[in-house]
Amino acid sequence: MFKTYLKAAWRNMLEKKGESILNIGGLAIGMAAALLIGMWVVSELSFNKEFENYDRIAQVMQSQTFGGEISTNTFQPMQLAPVLRDTYGDYFKQVVTGSFTNAMLLTVGKKKVSRTGNFMEPGITEMLSLKMMQGRRDALNDPGSILLSETTANTLFGNADPMGKVVKIGTTMETQVAGIYEDIPENSEFGNLTFIAPWELLKITANFEERVGWGNNWFQTYVQLEDGADFSTVSNLIKDVKYNNIKNGDDPSSIRTKPVIHLHPMEKWHLYSKFENGVNTGGLIERVWLFGIIGVFILLLACINFMNLSTAKSVKRAKEVGIRKTIGSVKGQLITQFLSEALLLVTMAFAISFVLVLLARPFFNELTGKALVIPWSTPLFWVVCVCFVLTTAIISGSYPAFYLSSFEPAKVLKGTFNRGQGASRLRKGLVVFQFSISIVLIIGTITIFSQIEYVKERPVGYDREQLLYVPITTSGLITHFDTLRDELLESSDIAEVAASDVLVTGTFTTNGGFDWKGKDPNMSEQFNTLRATHGYGEMIDWEIKEGRNFSKEFKSDSLAFIVNETAVKYMGLENPVGEYVQWGDIGNFKIIGVIKDMVTQSPYDEVRPMLFTLHYGDFLNFINIKIGNDSNTKDALAHIESVLQKYDPESLFTYTFFDEEYARNFINEERMAKLASFFSLLAILISCLGIFGLSAFVAEQRSKEIGIRKVLGASVLGLWKMLSKDFILLVALSSCIAVPLGYHYMNEWVQEYSYRIAISWWIFAIAILGALVITLLTVSFQAFKAAVINPIKSLRTE
Amino acid sequence: MLLELNNIFKWVQQGGQRVFLLKDINLKVAEGEFISVMGPSGSGKSTLLNVIGMLDGFNEGEYHFMDESVHTLREKHRAELYKQYIGFVFQAYHLIDELTVYENLEMPLLYKKIKGSERKAMVADMLDRFNIVGKKDLFPTQLSGGQQQLVGVARALISKPKLILADEPTGNLNSKQGQDIMELFKQLNNEGVTIIQVTHSEKNAEYGSRIIQLLDGRKV
Repeated sequence: MFKTYLKAAWRNMLEKKGESILNIGGLAIGMAAALLIGMWVVSELSFNKEFENYDRIAQVMQSQTFGGEISTNTFQPMQLAPVLRDTYGDYFKQVVTGSFTNAMLLTVGKKKVSRTGNFMEPGITEMLSLKMMQGRRDALNDPGSILLSETTANTLFGNADPMGKVVKIGTTMETQVAGIYEDIPENSEFGNLTFIAPWELLKITANFEERVGWGNNWFQTYVQLEDGADFSTVSNLIKDVKYNNIKNGDDPSSIRTKPVIHLHPMEKWHLYSKFENGVNTGGLIERVWLFGIIGVFILLLACINFMNLSTAKSVKRAKEVGIRKTIGSVKGQLITQFLSEALLLVTMAFAISFVLVLLARPFFNELTGKALVIPWSTPLFWVVCVCFVLTTAIISGSYPAFYLSSFEPAKVLKGTFNRGQGASRLRKGLVVFQFSISIVLIIGTITIFSQIEYVKERPVGYDREQLLYVPITTSGLITHFDTLRDELLESSDIAEVAASDVLVTGTFTTNGGFDWKGKDPNMSEQFNTLRATHGYGEMIDWEIKEGRNFSKEFKSDSLAFIVNETAVKYMGLENPVGEYVQWGDIGNFKIIGVIKDMVTQSPYDEVRPMLFTLHYGDFLNFINIKIGNDSNTKDALAHIESVLQKYDPESLFTYTFFDEEYARNFINEERMAKLASFFSLLAILISCLGIFGLSAFVAEQRSKEIGIRKVLGASVLGLWKMLSKDFILLVALSSCIAVPLGYHYMNEWVQEYSYRIAISWWIFAIAILGALVITLLTVSFQAFKAAVINPIKSLRTE
Repeated sequence: MLLELNNIFKWVQQGGQRVFLLKDINLKVAEGEFISVMGPSGSGKSTLLNVIGMLDGFNEGEYHFMDESVHTLREKHRAELYKQYIGFVFQAYHLIDELTVYENLEMPLLYKKIKGSERKAMVADMLDRFNIVGKKDLFPTQLSGGQQQLVGVARALISKPKLILADEPTGNLNSKQGQDIMELFKQLNNEGVTIIQVTHSEKNAEYGSRIIQLLDGRKV
């Protein structure tokens, strides 16, 4: 029985090739989109899950209050871990202090490579259950050791045995390879941990013990809970650890920030990373939901095409239903028949969608910045695929099945069969649904793109053209900075050189403990700070509104601030220049200048109050170099390299232009924009396939009417108008639904950015116009084809 | 008695008025009869046939089929009844275009859940009897009208019905083809199958043992 159903369906499909291609193709595209999104969602949801202790690991967070607002981050003082271990040891299996995973230079003999790794306490290996290929997990207890990932070991040593060999980290730290671990899965927080060096080594080398206190939130702390302990209880226990330890210390000002320590479970790192006012509010999960919903919608659009085309064809199928019923079929059997037909088509569409997924995967990987894998070998994958096919078949096949199987044979066989207003109205409704979704997606895409464009166009307030930086990895560059600068400037290609502690594209260092005349005593102030050498302001060409730049002529400038306009407002100063600001016990600083606000953090955010000071020596992390606007960049770079190599022969010469650095602000948003546009395109394409098929059906259905009208003198243009009008009306109706929806959601979306566009009418105009034009083009093809046909043909066939 | 219609009325509402399709029809059909229903267009011939075939309902009256009271039966039972005892032949053949001759013949048996081997035998028997073995793998569109109707009759017969209802079975055929089909009906009737046919042609009506004339939904 089943076999004959499929046989008939198969022949039917072959006979109506165009229709079948439309039907299956549309479904395949929809399914491919759903599959891709599904794979992406799964990959996001399974982030970090490969760690055995996934549900027992947490990162220690710190929430502090600045100016009434609570900000939460991962930065911790290094004193925290020992306290957790000693006082609360019953609750933790592991407590691990670490630095931040960074690219560092690894040297073996003459071979130098840059690899991302971290300095961490020995417990990390047990915490992450590292799979040791050689050596032991406890090897990091020796501060002279290093663990390498398999890939790093291969790069450094090739086929030779790496164990016991010497690896130099940076320019000073010598270590011996004490173990090799299997690469950590890429789809995890520690995927870029390609080597692990002992925290102890960094601590000794950098002399942290002497100079770093509870106030310096420079490190990260990870914990693994003891069995039976739970996150919220432990969080609650340790929340005042820092507060209690600093309250009797020598810097009482820092307790004004009311530091609260709490745990952030690994399960939430990836998807729930956002904290607003101290509360964990979400994060990537919103995007996962968003794209998950888009995926479901796109699949739904494709299913709707299937439904619409099947019910549109019902005239033809009605006869068959009638025959089958008179020779003995009952409704249930017909439903089974139509569902099995749907299953056949969906299965074929699925096979094609698979090919599409394979073809689109590289492109999609690039879009998402992920390496999606198809888990061919896991049985679960195939189970999911079968469920996916069945679900799609049921969604798209059930309505047609019930609709078609309910025909009464006496009516349909008599030939006076009325096609049923109900089905046609439903078809129209579904088309409206499709286009509403498509238009919402278009509106979203345009809004995202224009928001990005708007932020890109935002004046940053400094000149980053031909400006580059070189990270300082060895003290050699700092101690001889003046001579180094002179040598660099010897070349006429170099316009200016200045060192700074942070980059002008990311001044994330904040400081508190300031006092000035008229300050509200309860204010827990926080300023972003940038420390730099002379000439920095001139180099980036900031705009002085009042006062002057730092100058070598004034020795007193070593205790001077240049502030931005926002800082002036923040401090409530009327005449800022000449005022004094006390900075803890560092000194009393005089404000010598006010500069126009610059975008020195995220370009999406408001400008924050900033203080600029002069600084030489330790803590300078970057050499900023301005190449003359008319200079040959290649020559300039060659010159820079030769000078820097002289002062720092050990390091690799690396540099980054600020243009590129600034562009990184847009990577995430542009990715989102590209994904959104990709899926909007698919949605539109699928919807168009749908109305293409429907308009063909309508033209066929009305061919007799068209013939009669033509005989009576209707023009081709008039007929085209008549046939297109209905669809245009549907799209117009969709617009009415889509515009408020689109406005609502996109307005919500832009609220996330402080620097944002106002959503204006033209976005909607373009979306609607676009949808109308596309519809018109799609429908016109069929309308025109029907309108030019010789009426004799269509009238004779009746 | 195979079936009995008592005071059957059927009407539709049109513009607030009842338009009668069947008016007070009384009819008794015994097993082995060959009845021709005649009358001008719109006189209710096809409607009557549909009512007898249980494809269509009626508004008033009683209908007994083989001691079952059709008017009291639920739709599902009715369907089972006609599935078992009635075969239909249509003017437009109504074969399924996507299925071959063989598969078209096989279909009623599939719905009756008859086993594969038995099914094969029955279809082969039917093909043989109608002399269309050579056409079994062809699709309906590849056959002439007469051949299609032959398949139509074969399909109606294959489930061994007691009654064949034929709505203008020769309407789409030329005279030679029509004559062949009528001869076939005659022969079937001689073998014991009850036949009720609707026809316009006096000549075809003559094949029957009894003629019923309809006018405006009434028996005359």
